[in-house]
Amino acid sequence: MSTSSSETAAARAADYDVLVIGGGIGGMESSLKLGDMGYQVLMVDKESSVGGRMILLSKVFPTLDCASCISGPKMTSAVHHPNVEPMLYSEVQGIRRLPGGRFRATIRKKASFVDNAACTGCQDCEPVCTVGVPDNFNADLVARRAVYLPFPQAVPKKVVIERLGTSPCTDTCPAGIKAHGYVSLIRSGKYEEAFQLVADATPLVGSLGRACYAPCETDCTRGELEAAIPIRRLKRFIAERHYQGADGPGVAVAEPNGRTVAVVGSGPAGLTAAWKLARAGYRVTVYEKEDQPGGFLRHAIPEYRLPGAVVDADIANLTAIGVDIRTGVTVTDLEALKAQGYDAVLLATGTPRSTRLGVPGEDLPGVVSGLEFLRDVRLGAGASLAGKRVVVVGGGNVAMDAARTARRLGAEQTLVAYRRGREEMPAHLAEIADAEREGVLFRFLVAPTAVTGDAAGNVTALRLATMRLGEPDASGRRRPEPIPGGEFTLEADLVIAAVGMSPEPATFETVAAADRGGRIEVDPKTTQSEVGYLFAAGDVVSGASDIAQAVGLGQRSAFMIDRWLTGQPMTGFAALDDRLGVVDKASVLARQREFGHRDPVVPDSRYSAEPADFAEIEPPMTEAEALMAAGSCLDCGVCSECGQCVAACPAGAINLNAKDEFVEVEVGAVVVSTGFRLFAADAKPQYGFGRYPNVITGMQMDRLVAPTRPFNTVLRPGDGKVPERIAYVSCTGSRDKQVGNPLCSKICCMYSVKQNQLIMGALPLADVTMHYMDIRAAGKRYDEFYEQAKSMGATYIKGRVAEIREKENGDLILRYEDVENGGQITEAEYDLVVLAVGIQPNRDVDRLFEGERLAQDEYFYVAEPDADLDPGQTSIPGVFVAGTAAGAKDIVDSILHAGAAAAQTAAHLERAAHQERPGHQERPGQHAAITAEVPA
Amino acid sequence: MSEQRRIGVYICHCGGNISDFVDVAAVRDAVGDEADVVVAETALFACSDGTQKDMEQAIRDQNLDGLVVASCSPKLHLFTFRGVARRAGLNPFEYSHVNVREQDSWAHGDDTAAATEKAISLVRAGIARTRLSEPLDVLTVETTPKALVIGAGIAGLRAAIGLADVGLGVYLIEREAELGGWVGTLGAMFPADRDGREMIASLVAEVRKRPSIIVLTRAELISKSGSFGNYVAEIRVRTDGEAGQVIRAEVGSIIVATGTDSYQPEAGEFGYGIDGVLTLPEFTRLVDSAEGPLTRNGRPVRTIAYIYCVGNRQPGGNEYCSKFCCTAAVHDSVKVSRLDPSVHQYHLHRDIRTYGKYELLYTESRERGSVYLKFADDAPPSVALGPDGRLTVTTTDTLTPGAELAIPADLVVLVTGMVARQNDALKSILKVPVGSDGFFNEIHPKLRPVETMVDGVLVAGACQGPKTSAEAVASGLTAVTQTAAILKKGVAELDPLVAAVDPAACTWCGVCAQTCPYEAIASVAADGKQIAVISATTCKGCGGCAPLCPADAIDLRGYTDAQITSMIDGMAREPVG
Repeated sequence: MSTSSSETAAARAADYDVLVIGGGIGGMESSLKLGDMGYQVLMVDKESSVGGRMILLSKVFPTLDCASCISGPKMTSAVHHPNVEPMLYSEVQGIRRLPGGRFRATIRKKASFVDNAACTGCQDCEPVCTVGVPDNFNADLVARRAVYLPFPQAVPKKVVIERLGTSPCTDTCPAGIKAHGYVSLIRSGKYEEAFQLVADATPLVGSLGRACYAPCETDCTRGELEAAIPIRRLKRFIAERHYQGADGPGVAVAEPNGRTVAVVGSGPAGLTAAWKLARAGYRVTVYEKEDQPGGFLRHAIPEYRLPGAVVDADIANLTAIGVDIRTGVTVTDLEALKAQGYDAVLLATGTPRSTRLGVPGEDLPGVVSGLEFLRDVRLGAGASLAGKRVVVVGGGNVAMDAARTARRLGAEQTLVAYRRGREEMPAHLAEIADAEREGVLFRFLVAPTAVTGDAAGNVTALRLATMRLGEPDASGRRRPEPIPGGEFTLEADLVIAAVGMSPEPATFETVAAADRGGRIEVDPKTTQSEVGYLFAAGDVVSGASDIAQAVGLGQRSAFMIDRWLTGQPMTGFAALDDRLGVVDKASVLARQREFGHRDPVVPDSRYSAEPADFAEIEPPMTEAEALMAAGSCLDCGVCSECGQCVAACPAGAINLNAKDEFVEVEVGAVVVSTGFRLFAADAKPQYGFGRYPNVITGMQMDRLVAPTRPFNTVLRPGDGKVPERIAYVSCTGSRDKQVGNPLCSKICCMYSVKQNQLIMGALPLADVTMHYMDIRAAGKRYDEFYEQAKSMGATYIKGRVAEIREKENGDLILRYEDVENGGQITEAEYDLVVLAVGIQPNRDVDRLFEGERLAQDEYFYVAEPDADLDPGQTSIPGVFVAGTAAGAKDIVDSILHAGAAAAQTAAHLERAAHQERPGHQERPGQHAAITAEVPA
Repeated sequence: MSEQRRIGVYICHCGGNISDFVDVAAVRDAVGDEADVVVAETALFACSDGTQKDMEQAIRDQNLDGLVVASCSPKLHLFTFRGVARRAGLNPFEYSHVNVREQDSWAHGDDTAAATEKAISLVRAGIARTRLSEPLDVLTVETTPKALVIGAGIAGLRAAIGLADVGLGVYLIEREAELGGWVGTLGAMFPADRDGREMIASLVAEVRKRPSIIVLTRAELISKSGSFGNYVAEIRVRTDGEAGQVIRAEVGSIIVATGTDSYQPEAGEFGYGIDGVLTLPEFTRLVDSAEGPLTRNGRPVRTIAYIYCVGNRQPGGNEYCSKFCCTAAVHDSVKVSRLDPSVHQYHLHRDIRTYGKYELLYTESRERGSVYLKFADDAPPSVALGPDGRLTVTTTDTLTPGAELAIPADLVVLVTGMVARQNDALKSILKVPVGSDGFFNEIHPKLRPVETMVDGVLVAGACQGPKTSAEAVASGLTAVTQTAAILKKGVAELDPLVAAVDPAACTWCGVCAQTCPYEAIASVAADGKQIAVISATTCKGCGGCAPLCPADAIDLRGYTDAQITSMIDGMAREPVG
């Protein structure tokens, strides 16, 4: 692991004569020829394999060679050429021209999360990967995994993991749990693996599955559609599956390392730290002052939300791996504890102190703190409140729990009195809603001023002031102020004060300082106190928070204690927090034009306005529900970090903590060979692409007829039927001012004619018809190729297709003007329609050059100022363009253009060398043998 | 040879190209038990990087001393698999290439059982040859860092400049007295309205600036000897009133850029011969020389009819498309319209092929009022002189069915295409094969687009097939790149698969020398007798001499008599079992 300081600085790599951007057919051709001439070439491609688009094609016109047969050996040569250095899965970030005419380029080597030296291309990782995404290398016809080899002929044959960032659910989890990971594992039916993924972070799988406030769900991208995925309940589902079936946690535990750690407090922070340390080989003793371990899990959260049996099951994980939990022991002297022989002590004593109301009458027996009330009830000491009027003061989660518990104890009326408004309540929204469902009443903008009691000391009423919201306070919330004259009295039999909690400084004050909130002062990054052996985690550090945050702090402490005790520097935060940066939800939602509706999986919870018992409210998820819920995941970051590939890789090649690297190179010339984009067929809505499944693009058909085709035959995607009537629609996105492209794309006629022939070979009974504007079979042997397709039986109908409609059975009706038969408006029906999409400029290079602009033509292709005499020369001296980056070209023309660009590049390099070494004369007398020159 | 060989055999599916018609697993099973075969495998794509690596691994792990790959034509991948052998430490000439695609699966798609049998026989022959193969060393020769460019049209001129700019010496020879070829005769050209004459002038000026380019006009190649890397070219330069002078040029490679001719219609073809019926070049010259609205015989030209695809796309005639002519004619119509927007222009076509950015010209032409009418392939227009002395073009427009349109026209332009030059003398000197269309053939349009079957002889420009000016320039520069790629190294590697004489057996009858098309055989005195000696660098390994030798004194390395005999034996065996 490395620290972040060196991660962003660009390392200086070797210098090269030429930087070739793009490893498609044009880039490879330029690189190979320049390499043959003896120049040192750096070839950068953003994909993990060279080959560009050509390698994805079936056969190529007009020779009908396999694209693989032509491209494959060039790919091998390009990667193994002694003078060509491939830098793949990398993107050129910027290029600056230096004084003197050379260039400095910064290149980002994208983390592939796979060690290429170790990866053998065995692809054992692919079947275990739990994420499927559209396979862009198969024109989205099928799915591929998040870890993938782009295509079978990839050179080099190395997998990469697609990680667009950390998914919002995982990113937001304070407990560092791979939420996306376990959701995707559940979707794949890998329930135990899902449990293990969570258990790797914390033993409290069941408790979190019940009582976590699930910020993951708040941030879930699916929430922007119908509803967030019920991620918390999915965790409960895997916990229940595990606890029903498994004997013990089933986690790996390191050999004992001989070191010991004492943990004071058995709440979520202490237990999580104990778990992590014990699994790392530490002998861990947990001290708990109560008779039962669990802290607030057991003593504050009511049974109806978190049954004690669930806490027991979670805690059994710890005892199963040898954690010694000593209950009923109150630690008062941390130094003495350390002196018992522990190498380190972790303080995780939480916030046991309740904040006082600070009003007269507070000490009457009928006034209790929320924590005290809840604890007594959990310990079985809760008396019936039948016929009583209960007022709960406060607006937090403890207040809600207390109020709902009071309802269960039979209180006639339970009212929450809160000094701000509903919107300002710190309690979780679901808790407030549940309290309302259970008949809890609310009074907002009221604050207690006194508790009154009778002579016997019983509470009789609460005196309240009416408040209004003033200026914002330090927390950013508007400070409530009493409205003069607004006091009133509320009759009450029991007042529950739930207005705040804080740590108990007495526990640690002898060795560490407390801040004004009573929290222990520790280094927030390391959680270490000034006394080296003492660390602290959970609410004693943060003040009152929630389970997930306490778990997160417990992990941090365990990690730092391990580093401290093994003599490592107190850093390494990148390994502790391996998030990549959160994926932008908008970009996730923009991946698809539309999303299918998924009914949210909502629990059939047993709410009652008169709750009578403490039975758990929320029912468990069925397996079907779990699969349905997990199946709605949008895989925001693509890779879910489920870790299955890491476990499956026989070479140990996968490292999910890899980071992007940046390198700087100096080069003498640049060849831009960034290729083209295919026209996005849905931008021509009258053809229905994206809406009608049996309307596909030419690229998709090329995949369907390719040797490495996704299916075993040509079929239509809508229903898998083998089509008998196939239509081509030429000029889709070309020669079309409606879509802003008046140019001809040159390749589409010929690839269509090629596919016409291949389809007739693959499906001898199929009728193939091409609706065209002009068949542009312009090239050596192209017209002969077209004639051959006609003689094989393909039909060519002149006339632009106006629109396509879909029938109920998925067949398609084309409406067109039949130019060769008098121009009648005609309709024809087909099983499958192939849109011969054209090409568009790739805008990748728009801002590539710093300080100057690489000129483009008016259609945004890289401009060649003198295309007639200096093909390949761009507006910047020393920068050349090869292939379709400069305009539509077929493969033959791209190769010729790349050859021309290579000649131009070589000439530039020779001129530059000449200027650098003016004395270096070019082989004098070389041509002396010629005596006769006849003037022209 | 009795010693045991260890041969690896790979049968390629070619992703279905072979395996759709040949049962490749059956072939593997049939040859797997052959003597000396240690490895027999099939591969989806034998040429893929992964399979190449597998082969290298097998060669090393299994100690293979011979390799056979049954796949496509050796024109595609002979060198690919020789490279596999070399990288794995096996002599590349221990590799035998068996073509079961072009010579089997593609030819016998109608009979898969027989195709499979044939594949087995062919692979057995390959194994038999490999059993008798011997390690050979490539012939390394130093190369001459100069090139000969034949033809000083736009492609040749630009290539000459490109060669000089990468540090190579150039002889640029031109048959005519003027440099510039076709483009040098043209005015504003598509797509950017650059003036052809001016472009040529600028290129000639650039040529003149480069002392490493020797320009010879009225010059023709009269002989070529030597071999790739070290050719000797004899060039005759005509001078007025004299027989001329022959110049001897030593060059490493030759770029052929001899251009093309325009199709010349026969008398009566679409009315050609009638006054006012012009070919495309004739019309273009008329437009380029006009300084105002077009006139013909003193009368203003009001209506022009263009008939496309004259001399092209004709079944039984020139079947190819010349690709430039649509755009050239469309561009001419734009130029006419600029001179006089009121001229009526009718384009009778069979699809307008203004591909790529040229489409913009087609759009402009239509926006300027040109009318485009498509005629059916089997119903071409006719041209006749009407009783009023005006030309009339009669056509059937597909968009107005049944109606025959008669278009009175002042000019009829026959949009003629390109035809290959009849340059038999040059063809016989260079021995570069031409295709059925008469144009020079490259080895492969994508793998080796400017190379020919003759090593070190490259083609550029329209002599290879119809091209636009810009495309000709690009191919000229690609020829520069390919020349530099082979000559900048300073050395060339030649195949050692050449004929060799057994001095003991040779009696010097001279039959071999007479039959050698490459003049590679001479006689020398040795041990008191005359014997034949074959220049290994000049010999192309065609094998023409070996069977003619009455004394059986000549063997072709890599294809020895013993190897050929054993291959025939291998093929003649019962195919299965």
